[in-house]
Amino acid sequence: MTVDFRLPDLAEGVAEGEVVAWHVAEGDRVAEDDVLAEIETDKALVEVPSPYAGVVAERCAADGEVVPVGEVLARFEVDDATDESTGGTEPETDSGAEADDTTSERDGRDRPVPAPPSVRRLAREEGVDLETVEGSGPGGRVTRADVEREIRGRTGRPSESGAAAEPREGDERGERATEGERRGRAPETGGDGGANAVAAPDAEPNAADAAPATPARSAERDPRDRTLATPATRRVADELGVDLDRVPASEKRNGEAYVTEEDVRAYAEGDAGRPERPRDGSDEAAGGPERESAERGEAATVEGGVEREDAASEPDGQTTEATAAAVEAAAAALGEDAPEAAAPHPAADDVSGERVPYRGVRRTIGERLARSARTVPHATHHDSVDARRLVEVRESLNAETDVGLTYTAFVVRAVVSGLAAHPALNARLDEEAEEIVYRDEYNVGVAVATEAGLMVPVVEDADELGLEALAARIADLAARARDRSLAVEELRGGSFTVSNVGAVGGEYATPIVNHPEVAVLALGAIRERPRVVDGEVVARPTLPLSLSIDHRVVDGAAAAAFTNHVMERLREPARLLL
Amino acid sequence: MVVGDVETGTDLLVIGGGPGGYAAAIRGAQHGLDVTLVERDAYGGTCLNRGCIPSKALVSVGNLAHDAGSAEEMGVHADPAVDMGQTAAWLSGVVTRLSRGVEKLCKANGVALVDGTAEFAGDHEARVRHDEAGRGAETVRFENAVVATGSRPVELPELPFGDDRVLDSAGALALDHVPDSLVVVGAGYIGMELSTAFAKLGADVTVVEALSEALPGYEDDVTEVVRGHAEAVGVDFQFEERASGLVEGDGHAVLEAETDGGTNRYPGDYVLVAVGREAVTDTANLDAVGLEPGENGVLPVDEECRTGVDHVFAVGDVAGEPMLAHRAYREGVVAAAVAAGEPEAVDDRATPAAVFTDPEVATVGLTAEAAREAGYEPAVGEMPFQASGRALTTGHTDGFARVVADAETGLVLGGQVVGREASELVAEVTLAVEMGATLPDLAATVHTHPTLSEAVHEAVENASGRAIHTLNR
Repeated sequence: MTVDFRLPDLAEGVAEGEVVAWHVAEGDRVAEDDVLAEIETDKALVEVPSPYAGVVAERCAADGEVVPVGEVLARFEVDDATDESTGGTEPETDSGAEADDTTSERDGRDRPVPAPPSVRRLAREEGVDLETVEGSGPGGRVTRADVEREIRGRTGRPSESGAAAEPREGDERGERATEGERRGRAPETGGDGGANAVAAPDAEPNAADAAPATPARSAERDPRDRTLATPATRRVADELGVDLDRVPASEKRNGEAYVTEEDVRAYAEGDAGRPERPRDGSDEAAGGPERESAERGEAATVEGGVEREDAASEPDGQTTEATAAAVEAAAAALGEDAPEAAAPHPAADDVSGERVPYRGVRRTIGERLARSARTVPHATHHDSVDARRLVEVRESLNAETDVGLTYTAFVVRAVVSGLAAHPALNARLDEEAEEIVYRDEYNVGVAVATEAGLMVPVVEDADELGLEALAARIADLAARARDRSLAVEELRGGSFTVSNVGAVGGEYATPIVNHPEVAVLALGAIRERPRVVDGEVVARPTLPLSLSIDHRVVDGAAAAAFTNHVMERLREPARLLL
Repeated sequence: MVVGDVETGTDLLVIGGGPGGYAAAIRGAQHGLDVTLVERDAYGGTCLNRGCIPSKALVSVGNLAHDAGSAEEMGVHADPAVDMGQTAAWLSGVVTRLSRGVEKLCKANGVALVDGTAEFAGDHEARVRHDEAGRGAETVRFENAVVATGSRPVELPELPFGDDRVLDSAGALALDHVPDSLVVVGAGYIGMELSTAFAKLGADVTVVEALSEALPGYEDDVTEVVRGHAEAVGVDFQFEERASGLVEGDGHAVLEAETDGGTNRYPGDYVLVAVGREAVTDTANLDAVGLEPGENGVLPVDEECRTGVDHVFAVGDVAGEPMLAHRAYREGVVAAAVAAGEPEAVDDRATPAAVFTDPEVATVGLTAEAAREAGYEPAVGEMPFQASGRALTTGHTDGFARVVADAETGLVLGGQVVGREASELVAEVTLAVEMGATLPDLAATVHTHPTLSEAVHEAVENASGRAIHTLNR
C-alpha cells in the first residue's frame, strides 16, 4: 500500500519548511521514527521522523525546496503487516491513499480539496491533480489561476497552457467569455471600463497577445470601474486598505476582471515593497489590471529561458525581478524607452556575482525585520555606563569560580530588574484586540550570531534564575543556536531582547525591535574610554547602551528611566548578585 | 437474422427512461451522439410516475388540507374535506404532463425513443422486445451503453406485495381514497413521508419500525423534530418491533410484529411496506455483456460512471446509493459526456438529500460529527426557525438551520436544515460546499428579508459567534 506523508505541523505558527537535507534515498527501507529529512523552519532545524515502517517510494521535494505544511513530503510503500501493527500511529492524512479507491466508495472522499466545479473541470482536462495544487483562495480554495500556474509550471510552455485554457468547441461559457473580450466590453461595463477590457489581451498568457504591451499600460492610468471578487476577498482588501479596482486581476469572468485574495495580497505587498512608484509617478509602475498577466506571458515568452519560466511559475511575490526584466526586454524589443519603463524596478538580473537563494533563516530574519521596520515606529535612546565596578566584580568572581560569568548575564539580570520597575518595556501590543498586554513573565531573548544568521533564543523566566544559572543558560542556548539544535519553542515567547553587538566591537547601534516585543537593548563593547570624573577626564571602562523602543507603546521618558535603572544596576553590580 | 427482425445501429444505447436514463440520452444527443433510449414502462421512471412527484403531490395536498383546518389562531376557520378521487385525477394529470414533457424533450433533442424491454445480447448488441403483441423485436447495435434500470421497493417475504392488502409505495400513491387506517412498516424517509401525509389526510396511521428511531442515519435533534411533529398529527410509532406476518381479522389486515415481550397485532385497511429499495438488475440480461451485480446487488461504477465493462456505463439507482433522482441526473450527464469523449466525472463535493416530512429535512455535506471524523475542527452555527420573522408569519416554526464549517479556514463543509421549505434552503449550502465558499463569503452575502433563507445566513453568522438574531453560543 502506498501512503502519502505530509509535512506535519512542526510548531505553532510554522507554515512551511525548507528541506535542508534528506537522510533517506528513494528505495531505502526505513523503520518508524527513522529520521527522514532535516527541515529548516522559522529559526530552527527540525529532524522529521518517519511515521511509517516501509520503503521510501518517492521524495516529493528536492533539497532546498520549501514545502508548505500539509503538502506531501514523501510517499511510502508500507508493508501491510507493518501497517496493521502501526495502525494507531498513522498520521491523520492518509486520505490520499483512500481517494484512489473511488470505485467502491462513491462518497468516501475524506477531505477533498476545495475548488469550484469549473476549476475541477479544468484540472481534469489538463490532467492536473488538485491535491498537488496549493490553493490561494480563502480556506485554501484552489482557483483557476492556481491550476493555470500549475499547468505553466509543469509544461514550461505558457502558450500551450493558454491554448489549453481556451474554450473548447461547444463550451458555451468559454465562448461567451472570449466574445466578451473580443468585443472589448462586457455588457455591464460602461464608459472607461471598456478601455480596460480592450487593453486586456487575455487572462491567459499568449505570445501573440503579449507583444502589444502599450495599450495594456495605457489602461493602467485609471482604476477599473468594476471588479469581481468574492466577499471574503473584498474583506481582505478592506483590511489591507487596497482598492480592488487597482489590483491586477489574475482571472477574468465573462470578460470582467476577477480578483483573488492572492492578487490582493500580492498587490498589497508589492505596494509596500516599491516606494519608487509614487515618487516616480510612472504609469507602468501603477499596476494596472492587466499588467501582471501580460508580464507573466512575457516573462516566459520573451525571455524563453528555463530560469525565467521557473520564476514565472513561482508565487507572485517572487516573480517581481523576473517580470521586471521581462517588461524591460519586451519594451526594448518594441523600440520603446526601455530604461525608463524599467526604472521603477532596479534590474537586479543584470548584477553579476554569486547568487544564493533567499531562503530559510535568512529569509525569516529578513521578513521579521522588514515587518518590524514597517509596523513599529522606532526611537533609540543612547547612553553609556561606567563599568569599572562591573569589570572588577566579574573578574573577581570568575577568579573564584569556574562558571565563566559573562557580561551578558549581568546585563540580563539588570534588564529584568529594570523591566520589573518599568512594565511598559515588557509589554506587547495586541493590535487586533487593540489592547496593550503587560506581560507577567520575564522572557529575555539573547541575540546570537550564527553561521546561518542571527538567532534569538529565549531565556524563559529569567527573573527566576540567579546570575550563575543565567550565565550557564545563556551559554547553553548560544551553543545550541550555533549548532542548530534549538527547538522551535526555545525561539518563541520572548518579551524583551538583548543584543550584544559589542562582542564584535563598536559603540552605539540602532537595533530593530524584535516585534511583537516593544524594546531591544544593544550593548557596545566594554572598553576604556575618556570619562569625566570629578571634573577630570580619566580613562574608564564604559559600556555603551542603545535601547530601541516601539514608540506606540513606550514613551521616550520611560525608555530613559528604564535605561537609567539598568545603568544604576550595572554601575553598582552588587545587587545583581543577590 | 430472424425474419421480421429489424437491426439498427446507435452510438449510445440507454436502457431505462428515468432521471438517469433520460438525462444521459438528452446530454448524449447534445454532444452529437446518435442516441437510442429504451423504456419498458413510462418515461420519467420511478421518480416521476411512482416516486418523488406523486408523493410530493400527496404531501402538498395533506399540508394544504391540514393547514387550512388548523389555522384558527390566524383567524382562518375551515374544515376541509378531501376528495381523494379528485386528488388522484389531478395527480394523474400532473404526472402525464411531466412524462409527456420528458418524451418531447428527448425527441426534440433527437433521441430515438423505443418502447420495450432491452436485453443485452452481446458486447455491442442488445435485443429490444416489444411487449405489445405483434410488434416483434429488434436488434440494436451500440458503441456504448448506459444501464439506467433503476430500483424497486424491497419486498418482505412475510408480506408479499401480491396480497391486495399489502402496498408498496407506488400502491399507496395510487389509492383513490383515504384509508381509515394504515399500518406502515418502516420509518425511513419513504415511510415517514407517506405516514405524515396520510395522517394529515385523516387516516389513523401506525408506524412499525425495527430500529429505535425514525429516519435512521440522521442526527438525533433532526429526527426528534420530525417524529414529534408526526406524533402531533396522529401518527403512532412502535419502535423496536419487527414485522413478521399478516393475518386476517375483522375485515382488516392485521400486521403481526415481534417484540422482546411477544407478538403485537396492528389492524389496518392496508399495510404499507416501505423498508427500502433495491437495484433492478434482472431485466436487461446483463450477463450477456459481461456484467454482474456486486455487493448490495448494485452495479459498481467508477467516477466516470463506467462499470467493469469499459463501454458500458451505469447511472442512477442501479449504480447504488445514494438512490436519489438528482444524483441520477448528474450521473446521467457525466456518463453521456464520457461516452462522447469529454473529460467528466462525478466529483461532487456533496450530494444534498431531502425528506418531505413535516417539517422537511434537508442535508448536505458533513455533519459536525462527520467533520470531526474527517479531521476537521468543526465550527457549527445554528438558527432556530422560532427566531425567524418569516417562519412566524407562516405559522411553521419547528426546526432549525445549521451550518458546519472548518473552524480553521472557515470552509463550509455542510449543513442540516429542518423546517418548512428546508429542501429549498439547502441549495445555498450545497452551492457553498461545491464552490469552496467560506463562512465570510456567506456572511457578506445579503439575504432577502423577510425570508426563510435568512436562517441559513444567521446560522453562518452564529458559526462565527456573530449572529444578530439568535444568541451566540
